[in-house]
Amino acid sequence: MRYFHPFLAMMLSASLIVGLSSIGFCQDSPISKISSESELIAILKSDAPGGDKALACKRLAVYGSEVAAPELGKLLTDEKLASWARIALEAIPGKASDEALRSAAGSLKGRLLVGVINSLGIRRDQEAVTMLIGELKSSDVEVASAAAVALGSIGGETASTELAKAIDSSTDVVRSAVAEGCILSAEQFMSQSNSKRATELYDLVRKAALPTQRIVEATRGAILARGDDGIPLLLEQLRSSEKPLFDVGLWSARELPGKKVVTALLDELKQADPEKAALIVQALADRKGTLDLPTIIQVAASGPRDVRIAAMSAISRVGDASCVEPLLKFALEKDADLLLPAKQALKEIQDEEARTEILKRLPTATGDLQQLLIEVVGLRRIEATDELVKALESPSAPIRKAALESLGSTLPQKDLAILIKQAVSPKNADDTAIARLALKTAAVRMPDREACATVVAEAMKNAPTETKVMLLEVLGSVTGAKALEALNAAGRDADPQLKDIATKILGDWLTIDAAPVLIDLASNGPADKYQVRAMRGYIRMARQFVISDKDRVAMCTKALEIAKQPAERKLTTEIFARYPSMGMLKLAIETTKDPELKSEATKAAQTIATKLGDKDKKQAIEMMSKAGITIPK
Amino acid sequence: MTRSENKKLPRRRVLKAAATSAGVAIFAPTIIPSSALGRDGATAPSERVVVGGIGIGRRGTYDLGCFLEQSDVQFAAVCDIKETARLNVKKIVDEKYGNQNCDMYLDFRDILDRKDIDAVLIATGPNWHCLGAVNAARAGKDIYCEKPCTKNIVQSIALADIMKRTARIFQAGTQRRNLPHFAFACYLARSGKLGKLTKVYAHPRGMQAMSSGWLPAEPEPDKSKIDWDRYLGPAAWRPFNTKHLDGFNFEKGGGLVGGGVLEWGSHCVDLCQWAVNDCPPPIEYNALENEELVATYDDGCQLIFREKGWIPLGSCPVRFEGEKGWVEAGDSGKMVLSSPELLAGRTVEEIGGYPATFHVRDFLDCVKTRSQPKGNAEAAARAHIACHAANIALFLNRKVKLDLKNYEFIGDDEANRLRSEATREPWRI
Repeated sequence: MRYFHPFLAMMLSASLIVGLSSIGFCQDSPISKISSESELIAILKSDAPGGDKALACKRLAVYGSEVAAPELGKLLTDEKLASWARIALEAIPGKASDEALRSAAGSLKGRLLVGVINSLGIRRDQEAVTMLIGELKSSDVEVASAAAVALGSIGGETASTELAKAIDSSTDVVRSAVAEGCILSAEQFMSQSNSKRATELYDLVRKAALPTQRIVEATRGAILARGDDGIPLLLEQLRSSEKPLFDVGLWSARELPGKKVVTALLDELKQADPEKAALIVQALADRKGTLDLPTIIQVAASGPRDVRIAAMSAISRVGDASCVEPLLKFALEKDADLLLPAKQALKEIQDEEARTEILKRLPTATGDLQQLLIEVVGLRRIEATDELVKALESPSAPIRKAALESLGSTLPQKDLAILIKQAVSPKNADDTAIARLALKTAAVRMPDREACATVVAEAMKNAPTETKVMLLEVLGSVTGAKALEALNAAGRDADPQLKDIATKILGDWLTIDAAPVLIDLASNGPADKYQVRAMRGYIRMARQFVISDKDRVAMCTKALEIAKQPAERKLTTEIFARYPSMGMLKLAIETTKDPELKSEATKAAQTIATKLGDKDKKQAIEMMSKAGITIPK
Repeated sequence: MTRSENKKLPRRRVLKAAATSAGVAIFAPTIIPSSALGRDGATAPSERVVVGGIGIGRRGTYDLGCFLEQSDVQFAAVCDIKETARLNVKKIVDEKYGNQNCDMYLDFRDILDRKDIDAVLIATGPNWHCLGAVNAARAGKDIYCEKPCTKNIVQSIALADIMKRTARIFQAGTQRRNLPHFAFACYLARSGKLGKLTKVYAHPRGMQAMSSGWLPAEPEPDKSKIDWDRYLGPAAWRPFNTKHLDGFNFEKGGGLVGGGVLEWGSHCVDLCQWAVNDCPPPIEYNALENEELVATYDDGCQLIFREKGWIPLGSCPVRFEGEKGWVEAGDSGKMVLSSPELLAGRTVEEIGGYPATFHVRDFLDCVKTRSQPKGNAEAAARAHIACHAANIALFLNRKVKLDLKNYEFIGDDEANRLRSEATREPWRI
């Protein structure tokens, strides 16, 4: 199959032809290296295949000049190449491209004419206006529609006047396109500060018999074009019972600049039904330049609950430190529906000063306010250790609970001993569970887990068994070398409770560094059920963890060597076939020598052999034949 | 051919059947979205968002799952030029709802004509993204559109303009904007916690111009199986070839200047743009040097496209460097930071990574409130313009300078000609 024309082969140097793609043109095509306009035009003039001419057009889009326009214009009648030619003609500056497009338009029909009209619109060719006005009356609705939009893109008084006349076209599709043209034209008048003419066009569309979406677009434009005078029209939309119009009211409420609209929207809130008011509040909050925070706070303070919640939701996005005081009040209103959004807003406000506002209230706060502030300290991760520790002395159980939880979320590493003390010997026995949970929460947050584990392990010394068990659980969450060391020691302790918890935790360990500890416990630890548990934990790692084939074979070999129970040895052979490799095959074949495991190992070897790649199959067959194992078909 | 297809073909004209103002839905008294108000609850029919799918292949099926998880979504119809894709989506949707109601269409305009559909999910190949989105907007639908959303700079500008003009909600499929760890990393950059930003890094995965071009002609399948003309859509004509059916290699970036920068850049450059507070894109783009393309914002901060040198944090990594610290995040859901203090007592694990459904939720909430979602058209346009400009610098192999007033290159005719590309007749953006 040939995708490189002999004509080009003559033109191009041999070096360019080397490496020619056999799959048609792409960035490696020799034509994609040509920047010479004359060479590219020569391709268009030749009988080169369509693909070559297509790529030449794309190169001319970047490197062509007005000289190329006539030759490109000839392709506009070619159904296959017209779009390629327009890629170049739309891009090449100068009148020649416009002329080529206009000239072609006279003889084209249907889709090809639509394409040319689209290009003239994009090039904003003023000289095409008369021809396009004529096409507005075309019996081909696609052509008439394209002409309408192109006229809108070109803009200007003549085009917009003719578009306005055509707004009552008999065809729905053309009418919709004419409306689009009017709106495009209006935007151009707006960019030229001619809001009067823009408003006329928007109003014309707004009042015509058109699909709702065109009305929506014209309404938005009519509001923005009028500026402050557009506020009544905006409010009219917000009062509409039609959702698309209400929606465009919400949209414009965000877009219309100035402060007067804010005042109007705030007034509107008073009379809007709660469902609408809740959405208007959110629109107000999105007005970054003219945000009236005190009023949003005011809305959040009273009125229908849904509107208040919407206002609090808005405050969470746009609020600042001034919102802290009112939000605390809202949260303490004893209304469960308000508590959550108020707390959420206290958590989310991004103003750094909010931290100061919260902290300054904490020392003197009592009762519900104290509890709320403590909770917010935890939610915002504000370090306030001294105040939280003081709160642990409170006679109120909810305050102590909040303080412990917040300590869990905020305590710095240097102060970890505070929570260890609370978890080991809480002043109130009722706080034990929450203190221990807080310690775990804090411990897993610590940036230096080895230092953290060292402090926790230190606390185990001379502690009663029950405390040691709790601290071992904390270490299980912390992980790392120091935690492993402590759990290894506990697994060998004479105390069965410690052996029990340590082997349980190690059995569920989530990183491979526990493997040596587990196998050591399985072989040298206390000869009882804990040894079995350690072995099973080790086998689980070999079965589940992502490790190299070599390491997995080594772990399985070790497991078979150490495991005493038949069940564990069989469990180990189940790993073989899950991870087929030559190393695993060798181990499976070796294991067939054990009469107790012969059956499982043989099956595993056969399964592995079927899964190995071609390069290993020959050697695998040899090994299996030698071991007397049937080779699966 | 299914019942729906029989009924719907030949297609109606765009907006022909759309309601005039007398026929629009009456304002629903329960329009207030409970999710937007921070409360959960059963979904009233009036709060339901009726969604149609356009071009739902592999990626689209994932998005579809995210939509179907939302209790206030009713997925009503699918359109695809591939019969297998239509049937697959119908099966998923009908199984989810326990009925046979998901309608199938060959022509996306039939979905846009339906008055009951509020929003569309567009997950076609990139060739159709912008055109599909602007047509949906003109038909009054809100849009969740997969990335890359545009093929060139002018399309990017048009996309943002048209969403404003039509007052439609647009969410680009840049779901990382709603993944907590990426959001946190961007917050650190935006809020000044890293000090004054000096460099933001994006990993575009493949910085070369690409074009699928004009491949050898193969027999064209029956239109009911694969509609080739519709598949080409706005792309210049070429003969049918099955290799073109991989939408991920279809003339991104306007043909000769597409490629990897846009495919992944629409995610990672987008995150860099968020880190710089969605400011306008960089004003200077250097040629590729030492496997890096350096672009510079008008405040001197650099956006660096690079392939190597990343901490292994999974695909789509980004790095933000300020005068006081740095953060790096990737698709593993992990972050690495210059100082643990930046976490302010949190752990990377508790900040968390996935799921991607948050992005769909963000879109649906904004459909109800008319607020702007995180991947809105303006933000997406800026990120895409940065990618397209970088692609142009790569294609021309030299520095290009962008004027932010009109997004034209300064004194560079060749670069300016690459800002846009004609669409095939009869399509227009």
